[in-house]
Amino acid sequence: MNNQRQLFQQLFEDNSKKVYHLCYGYTGDRDSANDLMQETFIKVWQNLEKFRNQAQLSTWIYRIAVNTCLSYLRTAKRRATDELNENIVENYAEEYSEKQEQIALLYKSIAKLEENERIIISMVLDEIPYSEIAEVAGISEGNLRVKIHRIKHKLTEIYNSNERV
Amino acid sequence: MKGFDEIQQLWQGQRPEPNVSFETILKRIQGSKAALAKKLFWQSIAVGVAVVLLLWMCFTVDFSTWTTYLALAMLGGCVCYYFLNQLRDYRDIKNSEHLLSKPEDYIQYLKTFQQKRNRFNTRNYAVYEICVAVAFGLYGIEMYFVLPFWTFVGAIAFMVFWFLICHYIFMKQYIRNENARIEEMIANLERIKSQFRDV
Repeated sequence: MNNQRQLFQQLFEDNSKKVYHLCYGYTGDRDSANDLMQETFIKVWQNLEKFRNQAQLSTWIYRIAVNTCLSYLRTAKRRATDELNENIVENYAEEYSEKQEQIALLYKSIAKLEENERIIISMVLDEIPYSEIAEVAGISEGNLRVKIHRIKHKLTEIYNSNERV
Repeated sequence: MKGFDEIQQLWQGQRPEPNVSFETILKRIQGSKAALAKKLFWQSIAVGVAVVLLLWMCFTVDFSTWTTYLALAMLGGCVCYYFLNQLRDYRDIKNSEHLLSKPEDYIQYLKTFQQKRNRFNTRNYAVYEICVAVAFGLYGIEMYFVLPFWTFVGAIAFMVFWFLICHYIFMKQYIRNENARIEEMIANLERIKSQFRDV
């Protein structure tokens, strides 16, 4: 039990930040991201025994995080992008600075992408290896590279057009 | 004008960090286990009370027709069937094998699960309604022999009125809402599933 707790703590410390970024990128607001991150790690705890035999623990954690995010939209009513964006701006209003404004704009831009694009780009931005992203998303690496190329271009375009407004 | 590399730098320099500690997660793990157990416990208690009540009626009240016993057995069967289905679905949700599947497969699982729940909630509602109506009908035979004629007619009229309300107002509205909700959900799942297709 103690070993299990130690392993879990280690997994939490190593992965929580990136899982949080993934959830934040997907939902666009901090509260939901925190909820989803908690839910992800609860499921990680419940599956800890199955994880022991896996070589890449982080891949499995991301897989759970992605599936948890996907089932989140299943229950939450899909909000209009504008509403999502207002939330993002509100979240940052308290600690306003130029950099925070740019980050808010970045999340606002990510929110305009499709669900799988949000997941993939959050992992790309966190510099997760392509092979791992492909494994998590369940697609081939070749297909992933094509998708990433397209998403990078799309995100940059959306970000710059938002910045000009 | 920013390039992707600058956007990436911006992302990596961001301050938002999870405000949930490891201890909070551990506490929630205990809490979520307790919440599920509590829900199942109270559902079991409710079913247990219903079954005990039906058995008590069977053994202590001296009904004059066998049809009443059949009616009680039907009601008991309905309660147990509903409870066993709820239990099976809870177990299915808790069984997290699916959680480790590819997103495309996981979405397929969610879709199938939701469709199954929808069938259970809508089609079985009609079956319950029929079973309960038949059970009360069977009990009506007993009432015919026991109650004064006009009281019997009044009781039957009230039951028929109540079943018509349930069927034409509550059930239709419930099924319409459930179907609309599930259709929206399935459309969303289909849309997301197509995004994860490996082509």
